[in-house]
Amino acid sequence: MVSLSVHSGVMNFGFLQTDSAPAIERSVGIIGAGPSGLAAAGLLASQGYEVHVYDKLPKPGGLMVFGIPSHRIPVDRINRGVRDLERRLGVTFRTNTKICCSAPMHEEEGDHFAADILSLSDLTDNHDAVVVCSGSWKSRRLTIEGSSLDGVYSSLQFLFPIRAIKYAHSNVSMPDVSGKKVVVIGAGHSAVDVVDSARTLGAESISLVYRRTAAEAPCGKFEIDRIQEMGVSWLEKRSPEVIQGVNRVEKLIVRNSLTDELEEMEADVVVSAIGEIPTPPFQKELGLENVRKGDVRWLNMTAMDNVFVAGDVLTGPSKIGKAVYSGLRAVRSLTNWLDLKAQSRENEYNFEADKISR
Amino acid sequence: MEEQKTLFVDYSKCIGCETCEAVCRFLYDTPRIAMSRTIDGEIVPLYCQHCEKAACQKVCKRGAISRDGDGAVLHNAMKCRGCETKDCLIACPYAAFFATCKGVAVAKCDLCKKRRAEGMQPACVEMCPCDAIKYVDRNSVERLKTEASEEAFKRVMAHIRPKKFVD
Repeated sequence: MVSLSVHSGVMNFGFLQTDSAPAIERSVGIIGAGPSGLAAAGLLASQGYEVHVYDKLPKPGGLMVFGIPSHRIPVDRINRGVRDLERRLGVTFRTNTKICCSAPMHEEEGDHFAADILSLSDLTDNHDAVVVCSGSWKSRRLTIEGSSLDGVYSSLQFLFPIRAIKYAHSNVSMPDVSGKKVVVIGAGHSAVDVVDSARTLGAESISLVYRRTAAEAPCGKFEIDRIQEMGVSWLEKRSPEVIQGVNRVEKLIVRNSLTDELEEMEADVVVSAIGEIPTPPFQKELGLENVRKGDVRWLNMTAMDNVFVAGDVLTGPSKIGKAVYSGLRAVRSLTNWLDLKAQSRENEYNFEADKISR
Repeated sequence: MEEQKTLFVDYSKCIGCETCEAVCRFLYDTPRIAMSRTIDGEIVPLYCQHCEKAACQKVCKRGAISRDGDGAVLHNAMKCRGCETKDCLIACPYAAFFATCKGVAVAKCDLCKKRRAEGMQPACVEMCPCDAIKYVDRNSVERLKTEASEEAFKRVMAHIRPKKFVD
Protein backbone atom coordinates (compact mmCIF):
# COMPACT_ATOMS: atom_id res chain seq x y z
CA MET A 1 0.00 0.00 0.00
CA VAL A 2 1.18 3.48 -0.77
CA SER A 3 0.49 5.95 1.94
CA LEU A 4 -0.18 9.42 0.66
CA SER A 5 1.90 11.27 3.16
CA VAL A 6 1.07 14.90 3.80
CA HIS A 7 4.63 15.95 4.51
CA SER A 8 7.04 16.50 1.69
CA GLY A 9 9.05 13.33 2.27
CA VAL A 10 12.78 12.92 2.11
CA MET A 11 15.25 13.96 -0.54
CA ASN A 12 17.04 10.65 -0.34
CA PHE A 13 20.69 11.40 -1.07
CA GLY A 14 21.52 7.80 -0.20
CA PHE A 15 19.09 6.60 -2.85
CA LEU A 16 21.34 3.89 -4.21
CA GLN A 17 20.96 1.51 -1.31
CA THR A 18 18.43 0.84 1.41
CA ASP A 19 20.94 -0.54 3.91
CA SER A 20 24.43 0.79 4.17
CA ALA A 21 27.15 -1.60 3.09
CA PRO A 22 29.54 -2.95 5.71
CA ALA A 23 32.05 -0.30 6.71
CA ILE A 24 35.30 -0.25 4.80
CA GLU A 25 38.48 1.30 6.11
CA ARG A 26 38.30 4.42 4.00
CA SER A 27 37.43 7.95 4.84
CA VAL A 28 36.53 10.81 2.49
CA GLY A 29 36.19 14.51 3.27
CA ILE A 30 33.71 16.52 1.23
CA ILE A 31 33.91 20.30 1.07
CA GLY A 32 30.44 21.75 0.64
CA ALA A 33 27.03 20.38 1.59
CA GLY A 34 25.09 21.51 -1.47
CA PRO A 35 23.45 19.19 -4.01
CA SER A 36 26.70 17.79 -5.42
CA GLY A 37 28.34 17.34 -2.00
CA LEU A 38 25.26 15.66 -0.54
CA ALA A 39 24.81 13.34 -3.54
CA ALA A 40 28.51 12.46 -3.32
CA ALA A 41 28.15 11.82 0.42
CA GLY A 42 25.14 9.58 -0.12
CA LEU A 43 26.85 7.43 -2.73
CA LEU A 44 30.07 7.05 -0.72
CA ALA A 45 28.31 6.34 2.56
CA SER A 46 26.08 3.70 1.01
CA GLN A 47 29.24 1.95 -0.16
CA GLY A 48 30.57 1.80 3.39
CA TYR A 49 32.89 4.80 3.31
CA GLU A 50 33.30 7.00 6.35
CA VAL A 51 32.20 10.42 5.17
CA HIS A 52 32.77 13.86 6.69
CA VAL A 53 31.08 16.83 5.08
CA TYR A 54 32.39 20.34 5.81
CA ASP A 55 30.32 23.45 5.17
CA LYS A 56 30.85 27.10 6.04
CA LEU A 57 27.15 27.62 6.70
CA PRO A 58 25.26 26.68 9.88
CA LYS A 59 23.20 24.10 8.04
CA PRO A 60 23.71 21.65 5.17
CA GLY A 61 21.79 22.13 1.91
CA GLY A 62 23.76 24.87 0.16
CA LEU A 63 21.83 27.05 -2.23
CA MET A 64 18.85 24.65 -2.04
CA VAL A 65 18.38 25.99 1.50
CA PHE A 66 20.12 29.38 1.46
CA GLY A 67 19.49 30.65 -2.06
CA ILE A 68 16.40 29.25 -3.73
CA PRO A 69 13.24 30.61 -2.04
CA SER A 70 11.32 28.15 0.15
CA HIS A 71 8.18 28.29 -1.99
CA ARG A 72 10.17 26.48 -4.68
CA ILE A 73 11.97 23.85 -2.61
CA PRO A 74 10.44 22.53 0.65
CA VAL A 75 13.31 22.94 3.12
CA ASP A 76 11.96 20.15 5.33
CA ARG A 77 12.51 17.68 2.55
CA ILE A 78 16.19 18.65 2.32
CA ASN A 79 16.53 18.62 6.13
CA ARG A 80 15.07 15.14 6.36
CA GLY A 81 17.46 13.99 3.63
CA VAL A 82 20.40 15.33 5.61
CA ARG A 83 19.15 13.68 8.81
CA ASP A 84 18.82 10.40 6.92
CA LEU A 85 22.45 10.72 5.76
CA GLU A 86 23.49 11.21 9.40
CA ARG A 87 21.38 8.54 11.05
CA ARG A 88 21.04 5.81 8.46
CA LEU A 89 24.34 6.21 6.66
CA GLY A 90 26.51 7.63 9.43
CA VAL A 91 27.67 10.76 7.59
CA THR A 92 29.27 13.37 9.87
CA PHE A 93 28.55 17.04 9.18
CA ARG A 94 30.86 19.82 10.30
CA THR A 95 28.99 23.04 9.75
CA ASN A 96 30.32 26.59 10.29
CA THR A 97 33.62 25.28 9.02
CA LYS A 98 35.42 26.85 6.11
CA ILE A 99 38.26 25.11 4.35
CA CYS A 100 40.61 27.93 3.83
CA CYS A 101 42.28 29.17 0.92
CA SER A 102 44.50 31.76 -0.60
CA ALA A 103 41.64 34.19 -1.24
CA PRO A 104 40.74 36.61 1.53
CA MET A 105 37.80 35.71 3.74
CA HIS A 106 34.46 37.53 3.61
CA GLU A 107 34.59 37.86 -0.14
CA GLU A 108 31.83 35.38 -0.73
CA GLU A 109 28.29 35.26 0.54
CA GLY A 110 27.98 33.34 3.81
CA ASP A 111 31.65 33.52 4.88
CA HIS A 112 30.77 35.27 8.12
CA PHE A 113 29.15 32.09 9.40
CA ALA A 114 32.46 30.24 9.41
CA ALA A 115 33.60 29.85 13.00
CA ASP A 116 36.19 27.19 12.38
CA ILE A 117 38.83 27.33 9.69
CA LEU A 118 40.73 24.32 8.40
CA SER A 119 43.31 24.03 5.67
CA LEU A 120 43.16 21.66 2.75
CA SER A 121 46.12 19.74 4.18
CA ASP A 122 44.15 19.16 7.41
CA LEU A 123 41.71 17.31 5.20
CA THR A 124 44.15 15.43 2.98
CA ASP A 125 46.03 14.30 6.14
CA ASN A 126 42.90 12.96 7.77
CA HIS A 127 41.09 11.43 4.81
CA ASP A 128 41.96 8.99 2.05
CA ALA A 129 40.47 11.38 -0.47
CA VAL A 130 38.78 14.79 -0.66
CA VAL A 131 36.00 16.04 -2.93
CA VAL A 132 35.73 19.79 -3.44
CA CYS A 133 32.06 20.71 -4.02
CA SER A 134 32.15 24.29 -2.85
CA GLY A 135 29.84 25.75 -5.50
CA SER A 136 29.61 29.29 -6.81
CA TRP A 137 29.05 31.73 -4.00
CA LYS A 138 30.06 35.02 -5.47
CA SER A 139 27.73 37.07 -7.60
CA ARG A 140 28.95 38.83 -10.67
CA ARG A 141 28.84 42.52 -9.77
CA LEU A 142 27.81 45.46 -11.87
CA THR A 143 30.74 47.55 -12.94
CA ILE A 144 28.86 50.67 -14.00
CA GLU A 145 29.28 53.96 -12.16
CA GLY A 146 27.44 54.04 -8.84
CA SER A 147 27.53 50.27 -8.32
CA SER A 148 28.99 50.66 -4.85
CA LEU A 149 26.25 52.97 -3.55
CA ASP A 150 24.14 51.78 -0.63
CA GLY A 151 21.03 50.01 -1.81
CA VAL A 152 22.77 48.21 -4.67
CA TYR A 153 22.80 44.45 -4.18
CA SER A 154 23.84 41.38 -6.11
CA SER A 155 21.24 38.60 -6.29
CA LEU A 156 22.99 36.45 -3.66
CA GLN A 157 23.56 39.43 -1.38
CA PHE A 158 19.84 40.00 -1.58
CA LEU A 159 18.56 36.40 -1.38
CA PHE A 160 21.01 34.88 1.09
CA PRO A 161 20.10 36.95 4.19
CA ILE A 162 16.39 36.24 3.69
CA ARG A 163 17.07 32.56 4.29
CA ALA A 164 20.01 32.96 6.68
CA ILE A 165 18.37 35.39 9.09
CA LYS A 166 16.77 32.62 11.11
CA TYR A 167 20.22 31.52 12.19
CA ALA A 168 20.35 34.83 14.04
CA HIS A 169 23.72 36.20 13.19
CA SER A 170 24.62 39.78 13.93
CA ASN A 171 26.26 40.18 10.54
CA VAL A 172 23.15 39.24 8.61
CA SER A 173 20.46 41.80 7.99
CA MET A 174 17.40 41.51 5.80
CA PRO A 175 17.32 43.72 2.74
CA ASP A 176 14.96 46.56 3.59
CA VAL A 177 12.55 46.85 0.69
CA SER A 178 9.25 47.47 2.43
CA GLY A 179 7.48 50.34 0.68
CA LYS A 180 10.42 50.86 -1.65
CA LYS A 181 10.95 50.97 -5.39
CA VAL A 182 12.97 47.95 -6.42
CA VAL A 183 14.68 47.53 -9.79
CA VAL A 184 16.04 44.11 -10.70
CA ILE A 185 18.56 43.71 -13.52
CA GLY A 186 18.65 40.40 -15.40
CA ALA A 187 16.14 37.78 -16.51
CA GLY A 188 17.43 34.47 -15.22
CA HIS A 189 15.89 32.34 -12.50
CA SER A 190 17.62 34.26 -9.72
CA ALA A 191 16.18 37.51 -11.08
CA VAL A 192 12.71 35.97 -10.81
CA ASP A 193 13.52 34.72 -7.30
CA VAL A 194 14.59 38.23 -6.31
CA VAL A 195 11.33 39.64 -7.72
CA ASP A 196 9.24 37.08 -5.80
CA SER A 197 11.14 37.75 -2.58
CA ALA A 198 10.95 41.54 -2.95
CA ARG A 199 7.22 41.21 -3.39
CA THR A 200 6.89 39.03 -0.27
CA LEU A 201 8.94 41.61 1.66
CA GLY A 202 6.46 44.34 0.68
CA ALA A 203 8.19 46.35 -2.03
CA GLU A 204 6.07 49.24 -3.28
CA SER A 205 6.95 48.69 -6.92
CA ILE A 206 9.17 46.24 -8.78
CA SER A 207 10.66 46.57 -12.26
CA LEU A 208 12.69 44.04 -14.16
CA VAL A 209 15.23 45.39 -16.62
CA TYR A 210 16.70 43.12 -19.30
CA ARG A 211 19.04 43.93 -22.17
CA ARG A 212 17.40 41.52 -24.62
CA THR A 213 13.78 40.45 -25.28
CA ALA A 214 11.35 38.23 -23.37
CA ALA A 215 11.82 35.52 -25.99
CA GLU A 216 15.52 35.37 -25.14
CA ALA A 217 15.17 35.55 -21.36
CA PRO A 218 16.70 32.50 -19.65
CA CYS A 219 13.81 32.35 -17.18
CA GLY A 220 11.35 31.97 -20.07
CA LYS A 221 8.28 33.87 -21.15
CA PHE A 222 5.98 31.94 -18.84
CA GLU A 223 7.72 33.34 -15.75
CA ILE A 224 7.76 36.85 -17.22
CA ASP A 225 4.02 36.68 -17.91
CA ARG A 226 3.49 35.43 -14.35
CA ILE A 227 5.38 38.26 -12.68
CA GLN A 228 3.75 40.83 -14.95
CA GLU A 229 0.39 39.55 -13.80
CA MET A 230 1.58 40.22 -10.25
CA GLY A 231 2.10 43.86 -11.26
CA VAL A 232 5.82 43.85 -11.96
CA SER A 233 6.88 46.09 -14.85
CA TRP A 234 8.94 44.33 -17.48
CA LEU A 235 11.38 46.55 -19.36
CA GLU A 236 13.21 44.77 -22.13
CA LYS A 237 15.93 45.92 -24.49
CA ARG A 238 17.41 48.12 -21.80
CA SER A 239 20.93 48.08 -20.44
CA PRO A 240 21.98 49.77 -17.21
CA GLU A 241 24.28 52.74 -17.81
CA VAL A 242 24.78 54.45 -14.47
CA ILE A 243 23.38 54.44 -10.95
CA GLN A 244 22.90 57.87 -9.43
CA GLY A 245 22.41 59.02 -5.87
CA VAL A 246 23.94 60.81 -2.90
CA ASN A 247 25.23 58.12 -0.51
CA ARG A 248 22.51 55.73 -1.56
CA VAL A 249 20.84 54.82 -4.81
CA GLU A 250 18.17 57.20 -6.09
CA LYS A 251 18.04 56.59 -9.81
CA LEU A 252 19.04 54.04 -12.38
CA ILE A 253 19.75 55.28 -15.89
CA VAL A 254 19.20 52.70 -18.61
CA ARG A 255 19.77 52.82 -22.35
CA ASN A 256 16.87 51.71 -24.49
CA SER A 257 18.51 49.87 -27.36
CA LEU A 258 15.53 50.34 -29.67
CA THR A 259 15.51 54.13 -29.48
CA ASP A 260 19.11 54.48 -28.27
CA GLU A 261 17.80 56.97 -25.72
CA LEU A 262 18.63 57.15 -22.05
CA GLU A 263 15.75 56.56 -19.64
CA GLU A 264 15.62 57.45 -16.00
CA MET A 265 14.12 55.12 -13.42
CA GLU A 266 13.51 56.02 -9.81
CA ALA A 267 14.93 53.35 -7.53
CA ASP A 268 15.50 52.85 -3.80
CA VAL A 269 17.00 49.42 -4.28
CA VAL A 270 18.82 47.99 -7.32
CA VAL A 271 19.52 44.26 -7.47
CA SER A 272 21.76 42.89 -10.20
CA ALA A 273 20.98 39.26 -10.96
CA ILE A 274 23.52 38.72 -13.70
CA GLY A 275 25.04 35.41 -12.65
CA GLU A 276 27.34 33.85 -10.10
CA ILE A 277 31.03 33.06 -10.24
CA PRO A 278 32.55 29.77 -8.99
CA THR A 279 34.51 30.20 -5.79
CA PRO A 280 37.14 27.50 -5.83
CA PRO A 281 39.56 27.42 -2.98
CA PHE A 282 43.11 26.74 -4.19
CA GLN A 283 42.24 27.37 -7.85
CA LYS A 284 45.89 27.20 -8.93
CA GLU A 285 47.12 24.44 -6.65
CA LEU A 286 44.33 22.19 -7.88
CA GLY A 287 44.81 23.10 -11.55
CA LEU A 288 41.07 23.53 -11.97
CA GLU A 289 41.50 25.18 -15.37
CA ASN A 290 42.83 21.87 -16.72
CA VAL A 291 40.05 19.85 -15.08
CA ARG A 292 37.53 22.13 -16.79
CA LYS A 293 39.11 21.54 -20.15
CA GLY A 294 39.06 17.80 -19.49
CA ASP A 295 42.84 17.83 -19.62
CA VAL A 296 43.34 15.39 -16.72
CA ARG A 297 44.49 11.83 -16.32
CA TRP A 298 41.61 10.85 -14.10
CA LEU A 299 37.97 11.96 -14.33
CA ASN A 300 37.28 14.85 -11.95
CA MET A 301 40.65 14.50 -10.22
CA THR A 302 42.60 17.70 -9.67
CA ALA A 303 46.33 18.27 -9.96
CA MET A 304 46.62 16.88 -6.42
CA ASP A 305 46.38 13.13 -6.02
CA ASN A 306 43.30 12.06 -4.06
CA VAL A 307 41.63 15.46 -4.40
CA PHE A 308 38.57 15.46 -6.65
CA VAL A 309 36.22 18.23 -7.68
CA ALA A 310 32.53 18.31 -8.66
CA GLY A 311 29.56 20.58 -9.18
CA ASP A 312 29.25 24.29 -9.81
CA VAL A 313 32.75 25.03 -8.53
CA LEU A 314 33.95 23.22 -11.65
CA THR A 315 31.30 24.11 -14.20
CA GLY A 316 30.15 27.51 -13.05
CA PRO A 317 26.56 28.09 -11.94
CA SER A 318 24.34 25.40 -13.42
CA LYS A 319 21.38 23.46 -12.05
CA ILE A 320 20.74 21.15 -9.12
CA GLY A 321 20.55 18.16 -11.45
CA LYS A 322 23.87 18.90 -13.11
CA ALA A 323 25.53 19.35 -9.72
CA VAL A 324 24.07 16.04 -8.49
CA TYR A 325 25.28 14.21 -11.61
CA SER A 326 28.72 15.72 -11.32
CA GLY A 327 28.95 14.70 -7.64
CA LEU A 328 27.92 11.13 -8.43
CA ARG A 329 30.37 10.84 -11.33
CA ALA A 330 33.22 12.27 -9.27
CA VAL A 331 32.58 9.71 -6.54
CA ARG A 332 32.49 6.84 -9.00
CA SER A 333 35.80 8.07 -10.34
CA LEU A 334 37.19 8.49 -6.81
CA THR A 335 36.26 4.98 -5.69
CA ASN A 336 37.75 3.51 -8.88
CA TRP A 337 40.92 5.45 -8.24
CA LEU A 338 41.26 4.24 -4.64
CA ASP A 339 40.43 0.65 -5.62
CA LEU A 340 42.95 0.50 -8.45
CA LYS A 341 45.57 2.38 -6.47
CA ALA A 342 45.27 -0.08 -3.60
CA GLN A 343 46.36 -2.76 -6.06
CA SER A 344 48.90 -0.53 -7.83
CA ARG A 345 46.89 -0.85 -11.05
CA GLU A 346 46.22 2.85 -11.71
CA ASN A 347 47.52 2.55 -15.25
CA GLU A 348 44.63 0.24 -16.11
CA TYR A 349 42.24 3.16 -15.80
CA ASN A 350 40.47 3.89 -19.08
CA PHE A 351 39.96 7.64 -19.10
CA GLU A 352 38.50 7.74 -22.60
CA ALA A 353 35.75 5.29 -21.64
CA ASP A 354 34.94 7.16 -18.45
CA LYS A 355 34.92 10.62 -19.97
CA ILE A 356 31.63 12.45 -19.93
CA SER A 357 30.78 12.92 -23.56
CA ARG A 358 27.32 14.37 -23.08
CA MET B 1 -5.78 -6.69 -11.73
CA GLU B 2 -3.94 -5.88 -8.50
CA GLU B 3 -2.46 -2.49 -7.70
CA GLN B 4 -1.02 -0.80 -10.73
CA LYS B 5 1.88 1.49 -10.05
CA THR B 6 2.78 4.58 -12.01
CA LEU B 7 4.62 7.88 -11.71
CA PHE B 8 2.85 11.17 -11.26
CA VAL B 9 4.69 14.43 -11.83
CA ASP B 10 3.03 17.50 -10.36
CA TYR B 11 4.23 20.06 -12.90
CA SER B 12 3.09 22.91 -10.68
CA LYS B 13 5.62 21.84 -8.03
CA CYS B 14 8.42 21.07 -10.49
CA ILE B 15 11.09 23.77 -10.74
CA GLY B 16 12.84 22.21 -13.75
CA CYS B 17 16.04 21.46 -11.85
CA GLU B 18 16.89 18.31 -13.85
CA THR B 19 17.66 16.15 -10.82
CA CYS B 20 15.29 13.37 -12.00
CA GLU B 21 17.02 13.23 -15.36
CA ALA B 22 20.46 13.33 -13.74
CA VAL B 23 19.95 10.36 -11.42
CA CYS B 24 18.23 8.41 -14.21
CA ARG B 25 21.22 9.09 -16.47
CA PHE B 26 23.64 8.05 -13.73
CA LEU B 27 21.83 4.72 -13.36
CA TYR B 28 20.90 3.93 -16.96
CA ASP B 29 23.12 6.05 -19.22
CA THR B 30 20.23 7.08 -21.49
CA PRO B 31 17.79 8.84 -19.17
CA ARG B 32 14.21 7.63 -19.33
CA ILE B 33 12.81 10.84 -17.88
CA ALA B 34 14.01 13.78 -19.90
CA MET B 35 13.87 17.54 -19.65
CA SER B 36 12.24 19.62 -22.34
CA ARG B 37 11.97 23.39 -22.62
CA THR B 38 8.60 24.64 -23.79
CA ILE B 39 8.31 27.55 -26.17
CA ASP B 40 7.34 29.69 -23.16
CA GLY B 41 10.53 28.68 -21.39
CA GLU B 42 9.14 26.28 -18.80
CA ILE B 43 11.56 23.42 -18.22
CA VAL B 44 9.72 20.16 -17.58
CA PRO B 45 10.50 16.45 -17.39
CA LEU B 46 8.73 14.20 -19.91
CA TYR B 47 8.02 10.74 -18.50
CA CYS B 48 6.19 7.46 -18.99
CA GLN B 49 2.80 7.31 -17.30
CA HIS B 50 2.52 3.52 -17.67
CA CYS B 51 -0.89 3.99 -19.31
CA GLU B 52 -3.70 1.61 -18.47
CA LYS B 53 -4.19 1.09 -22.21
CA ALA B 54 -0.67 1.56 -23.45
CA ALA B 55 -0.51 2.74 -27.06
CA CYS B 56 3.13 1.64 -27.34
CA GLN B 57 2.15 -1.92 -26.40
CA LYS B 58 -0.62 -1.90 -28.97
CA VAL B 59 1.52 -0.74 -31.89
CA CYS B 60 4.62 -2.84 -31.30
CA LYS B 61 4.60 -5.58 -33.95
CA ARG B 62 7.17 -7.71 -32.17
CA GLY B 63 5.38 -7.87 -28.86
CA ALA B 64 8.38 -6.27 -27.15
CA ILE B 65 6.27 -4.18 -24.78
CA SER B 66 4.67 -5.92 -21.83
CA ARG B 67 3.38 -5.18 -18.36
CA ASP B 68 4.83 -6.58 -15.16
CA GLY B 69 3.11 -7.52 -11.90
CA ASP B 70 3.35 -3.99 -10.48
CA GLY B 71 1.75 -2.53 -13.60
CA ALA B 72 4.94 -1.12 -15.10
CA VAL B 73 5.05 -1.06 -18.89
CA LEU B 74 8.34 -2.69 -19.83
CA HIS B 75 10.41 -2.70 -22.98
CA ASN B 76 12.03 -6.04 -23.77
CA ALA B 77 15.29 -5.50 -25.63
CA MET B 78 15.50 -9.19 -26.61
CA LYS B 79 12.31 -8.97 -28.64
CA CYS B 80 12.73 -5.40 -29.86
CA ARG B 81 15.81 -5.64 -32.11
CA GLY B 82 15.27 -2.00 -33.08
CA CYS B 83 12.80 -1.61 -35.91
CA GLU B 84 13.20 1.39 -38.20
CA THR B 85 9.61 2.53 -37.93
CA LYS B 86 9.86 3.17 -34.18
CA ASP B 87 6.08 2.94 -33.88
CA CYS B 88 6.28 2.92 -30.08
CA LEU B 89 8.14 6.19 -30.03
CA ILE B 90 5.56 7.82 -32.29
CA ALA B 91 2.55 6.29 -30.56
CA CYS B 92 3.47 7.46 -27.06
CA PRO B 93 1.23 10.41 -26.16
CA TYR B 94 3.71 11.67 -23.55
CA ALA B 95 6.92 11.56 -25.61
CA ALA B 96 8.39 9.11 -23.15
CA PHE B 97 10.31 6.81 -25.50
CA PHE B 98 13.87 7.83 -26.14
CA ALA B 99 15.97 6.82 -29.12
CA THR B 100 19.41 5.79 -27.91
CA CYS B 101 21.36 5.56 -31.19
CA LYS B 102 23.12 2.62 -29.56
CA GLY B 103 22.70 -1.16 -29.46
CA VAL B 104 19.26 -1.17 -27.90
CA ALA B 105 17.33 1.24 -30.08
CA VAL B 106 14.92 2.77 -27.58
CA ALA B 107 14.88 3.39 -23.86
CA LYS B 108 11.87 3.79 -21.64
CA CYS B 109 11.08 3.96 -17.94
CA ASP B 110 10.63 0.62 -16.17
CA LEU B 111 9.83 2.26 -12.82
CA CYS B 112 13.35 1.22 -11.77
CA LYS B 113 12.62 -2.50 -12.01
CA LYS B 114 15.78 -3.60 -10.22
CA ARG B 115 15.31 -1.09 -7.44
CA ARG B 116 11.71 -2.24 -6.94
CA ALA B 117 12.98 -5.80 -6.60
CA GLU B 118 15.01 -4.59 -3.64
CA GLY B 119 12.18 -2.66 -2.09
CA MET B 120 13.31 0.75 -3.27
CA GLN B 121 11.37 3.45 -5.08
CA PRO B 122 12.28 4.80 -8.52
CA ALA B 123 15.41 6.95 -8.20
CA CYS B 124 13.81 10.11 -9.61
CA VAL B 125 11.11 9.95 -6.91
CA GLU B 126 13.69 9.58 -4.15
CA MET B 127 15.91 12.44 -5.30
CA CYS B 128 13.44 15.10 -6.48
CA PRO B 129 14.19 18.13 -4.26
CA CYS B 130 10.63 19.43 -4.64
CA ASP B 131 8.57 16.33 -3.92
CA ALA B 132 7.08 16.77 -7.38
CA ILE B 133 7.35 13.11 -8.49
CA LYS B 134 5.24 10.45 -6.82
CA TYR B 135 5.36 6.67 -7.17
CA VAL B 136 1.74 5.71 -6.64
CA ASP B 137 -1.12 3.41 -7.44
CA ARG B 138 -2.87 4.58 -10.58
CA ASN B 139 -6.14 4.91 -8.71
CA SER B 140 -4.70 7.53 -6.38
CA VAL B 141 -3.41 9.78 -9.19
CA GLU B 142 -6.79 11.54 -9.39
CA ARG B 143 -6.51 12.52 -5.73
CA LEU B 144 -3.07 14.02 -6.26
CA LYS B 145 -4.24 16.34 -9.00
CA THR B 146 -4.89 19.96 -8.11
CA GLU B 147 -6.11 22.89 -10.12
CA ALA B 148 -2.53 24.13 -10.42
CA SER B 149 -1.16 20.74 -11.43
CA GLU B 150 -3.84 20.33 -14.11
CA GLU B 151 -3.14 23.79 -15.52
CA ALA B 152 0.57 23.03 -15.66
CA PHE B 153 -0.08 19.61 -17.20
CA LYS B 154 -2.14 21.22 -19.96
CA ARG B 155 0.77 23.50 -20.79
CA VAL B 156 3.09 20.50 -21.05
CA MET B 157 0.62 18.66 -23.31
CA ALA B 158 0.26 21.73 -25.52
CA HIS B 159 4.03 21.59 -25.84
CA ILE B 160 4.31 17.91 -26.81
CA ARG B 161 1.01 17.62 -28.73
CA PRO B 162 0.60 21.10 -30.20
CA LYS B 163 -2.00 20.31 -32.87
CA LYS B 164 -4.53 18.81 -30.56
CA PHE B 165 -4.30 21.36 -27.80
CA VAL B 166 -3.64 24.72 -29.42
CA ASP B 167 -6.89 26.61 -29.87
